[in-house]
Amino acid sequence: MIKVEKLHKSFGNHEVLKDITTEIKKGQVVSIIGPSGSGKSTFLRCLNLLETPTSGTIWIDGQNLMESTKENQKVRQQIGMVFQHFHLFPHMTVLENLTYAPIKVKGEKKAAAEEKARALLKRVGLAPKEKAYPSSLSGGQKQRVAIARALAMEPELMLFDEPTSALDPEMVKEVLDVMKDLAKSGMTMAVVTHEMGFAREVADRVLFLDHGVLVEEGNPVEFFNNPKTDRARDFLEKVL
Amino acid sequence: MNLDFSQMVPYIPFMLEGIWVTLKFVFFAIILGAIFGTLLALCKISHIKPLRWAADAYTSVFRGTPLILQLMIIYYAVPQLTGYDIDAFLAAILAFGLNSSAYISEIIRAGIQAVDKGQMEAAHALGIPYRAMMKDIILPQALKNILPALMNEFITLTKESAIVSTIGYLDLMRRAQVVGADLFRNFEPLLFVGVIYWCLVMGLTVIGRMFERRLKKSD
Repeated sequence: MIKVEKLHKSFGNHEVLKDITTEIKKGQVVSIIGPSGSGKSTFLRCLNLLETPTSGTIWIDGQNLMESTKENQKVRQQIGMVFQHFHLFPHMTVLENLTYAPIKVKGEKKAAAEEKARALLKRVGLAPKEKAYPSSLSGGQKQRVAIARALAMEPELMLFDEPTSALDPEMVKEVLDVMKDLAKSGMTMAVVTHEMGFAREVADRVLFLDHGVLVEEGNPVEFFNNPKTDRARDFLEKVL
Repeated sequence: MNLDFSQMVPYIPFMLEGIWVTLKFVFFAIILGAIFGTLLALCKISHIKPLRWAADAYTSVFRGTPLILQLMIIYYAVPQLTGYDIDAFLAAILAFGLNSSAYISEIIRAGIQAVDKGQMEAAHALGIPYRAMMKDIILPQALKNILPALMNEFITLTKESAIVSTIGYLDLMRRAQVVGADLFRNFEPLLFVGVIYWCLVMGLTVIGRMFERRLKKSD
């Protein structure tokens, strides 16, 4: 459903992504791993145009994302994003965080949007928190609300940018559990992560980036047990 | 000590009426300043260069010249140019509103830029259009941070409003001068309106605190 061809991204003279070509199929869970500064977050942010690629093409459901048309706006609505630092709207309650975009962007009725939001909050285990403000939640709770907020737009693809990196260790599991549940439900997901356990257990495919180059990709069993490249082997030795 | 407040008593209703006169144009000037200041702030953070340039030029002119000069130009010089006989009330609103918008735009710009960049990214990722994002997500958060600075600006405007007495507009200050000239006693009426100005500013301060508390409910 998403196809990336010869993607380049530079910040000034610094080339962050070099000639990335890959594909994510519908229903697939793809983990993007690599050392800090390898360009994996930038790659993810290019997929929903938070960063504008310097060159290359991104196709989503056969639509060229690089051509800015009305239809592309719609296509981008099908992509949900979860950030490392949550970015919940602090002046809105949890429920308002979930219903604002569906009402404003998709024109849903308030009652319908709230009903859906409550169901999503239940799914991430936060039903009693609908009237709370984000500042009263723990990191793990915030991230689960952020996931629910993205799901409220009924996306077909979910992007996760280091969703557990800003969390206290004891809260990582509750967020990963929600993500595993989501993966099982058949959601297409692209996850930038340092959680090798998640990449190994849940992902269908692993992309390994280093210095802006897509060095290796493959299924997790193969990748973690028998990496093909020296750089991947070197990286895995350090993190596992 | 040569103080006699009793002679002033017949003039008190006349001076009290000045409260309403002052508040009336200060109110409209604040509204004009807030709306135009917000628009200027949005121009200043825009990606369109001419807009940014125009807003910066505007600010530099209105901050770089005395308010009393701007008032005089609008009241005395514009009629000479256009033939339109502007009345003191309108001239006062325009001068104070336009002047204040230059300061307010800087406050709001700083407030918008202080909102976490992630808020815009989250709005973007959810497909929220620019206008709705600014109105419902960025500006409410900016407002919370800049409220003390904004209240400061409104207090300054309320006090500086005394400058309109120079174009003969019968505000509080001008009324004190009139009474002083009538009685050949200046201290009593000046003290009287001084206390009134202080009360007005205290009122504004209380309103500001109330707003601040309301905005803090999400903390």
